[in-house]
Amino acid sequence: MTCDETQEIITGLLDGELLDAERASLESHLEECPDCRLAVEQERRVKRALHASAERVRAPSALRDRILSDRRIFPEQNRRRWQDYLWPKPRLALPALAVGLILTVALPAFFLLKPKSEPIASAALKTYRLFTRGELSVQRAENPNELVEQLTRAVGGHFHPMGYDLTAMQLRPVAGLVRDIQGRHILIAIYQGRGGTLFCYTFFGSEEDAPVDAAKFFDPVKKINFYAFSQDGLNAVLHREGEIICILASEMPMENLLALAKSKARPS
Amino acid sequence: MSGEGKTESVKRTAIATEAMTHLDHLYRVALHLAKGPADADDLVQETFVRALAAHEQFDPGTNMKAWLTKILYNFFFDHYRRNKRWLAAEDGVQPEFEHWQHPADLNSGPESHVLRKELDDQIVQGLSKIPEEFRAPIVLVDIGDFSYGEVAAILSCPIGTIRSRLSRGRKLMQQYLKAYMGDEEKNSG
Repeated sequence: MTCDETQEIITGLLDGELLDAERASLESHLEECPDCRLAVEQERRVKRALHASAERVRAPSALRDRILSDRRIFPEQNRRRWQDYLWPKPRLALPALAVGLILTVALPAFFLLKPKSEPIASAALKTYRLFTRGELSVQRAENPNELVEQLTRAVGGHFHPMGYDLTAMQLRPVAGLVRDIQGRHILIAIYQGRGGTLFCYTFFGSEEDAPVDAAKFFDPVKKINFYAFSQDGLNAVLHREGEIICILASEMPMENLLALAKSKARPS
Repeated sequence: MSGEGKTESVKRTAIATEAMTHLDHLYRVALHLAKGPADADDLVQETFVRALAAHEQFDPGTNMKAWLTKILYNFFFDHYRRNKRWLAAEDGVQPEFEHWQHPADLNSGPESHVLRKELDDQIVQGLSKIPEEFRAPIVLVDIGDFSYGEVAAILSCPIGTIRSRLSRGRKLMQQYLKAYMGDEEKNSG
């Protein structure tokens, strides 16, 4: 194999797209050729720089709003559903109207009297911003096992944080804490590294803990529902493993976070 | 609405919702094709409109990201190229990309932030200067994380062509970024 012949094969190597035979002859050439070893390193650096730079690009929120309000993409379903269900059935119209009037009076009174509480997922996510502002007190730990042990002990051993290995994403657990939100213990494991910051929330709950406007995705292979939602510039994905709810929250793009949650979730 | 109509509507909404999770990816691809952010916005929005109009062609459980990207490229080739709203190498366009986010990193100071911004700008300019045939595989493989097979399907060309264009394209980018790569290494290290 000549140096000219290796150029495209080096590209395939860096993208993990080589056949075994190609890889073997390239590796044998690289052992003898410092110039081609340098070429591998240079191309790797270009690929890495392009990827890292792209990761920092987000769609502007104005574009997101434009798409969400485009009726060709998201038709106005609620109004249509109300009309479709009620008015084509005139016999139901009057009773429905009466119930509607009662509810109009009763519901506001009910909600005014009822103490207001936001969804637990939304309340939990606020800790992320507190942390980035340095306003959250956390337990630092060098050793991931030690962190899991500390958090598990803090909730009397009733459950433990999802011990995800995220080293492939250049993230490692650095700190944790237990937060009581709406009477429930929330274990929070904080991952940091070159991949940014990621929070993993673990608590007893159900899928009803997902915000009502979360987008739901069903993974047919693992048979798990995933709920994606955003809050205050933060993306989050919630899923359930038995009685335990896990929420991953990060500033990484939603598709990456969803893919991460899908890859790490364990069917219960 | 009939039962069938309702099912159709639910399916359509599910596809639209899942498509939203690929918004950042579509925007990144569009930024390197269109002449500027405003055209990129239009390109992405039209991709969503076309995808939803053809939603029955999408098979749930298959690769939605690749499906949407192919729709974006097809629309780009059919429409934008015809109307000269695409980024041609000879334009030497230096678009103002204000959507790069530089989140505060606990381990990096303002200097590395500035250097990273400079490298990002150079990458945008470099990509805008290389011919589109080399730019497209770079955008799809290095930025979009697609495999050669997926890129070949999106661009409707053989896998071998993808690899050779990618190799040429990266060499061109390497020459363009030569002065900045040292900084990138220091910055990321």
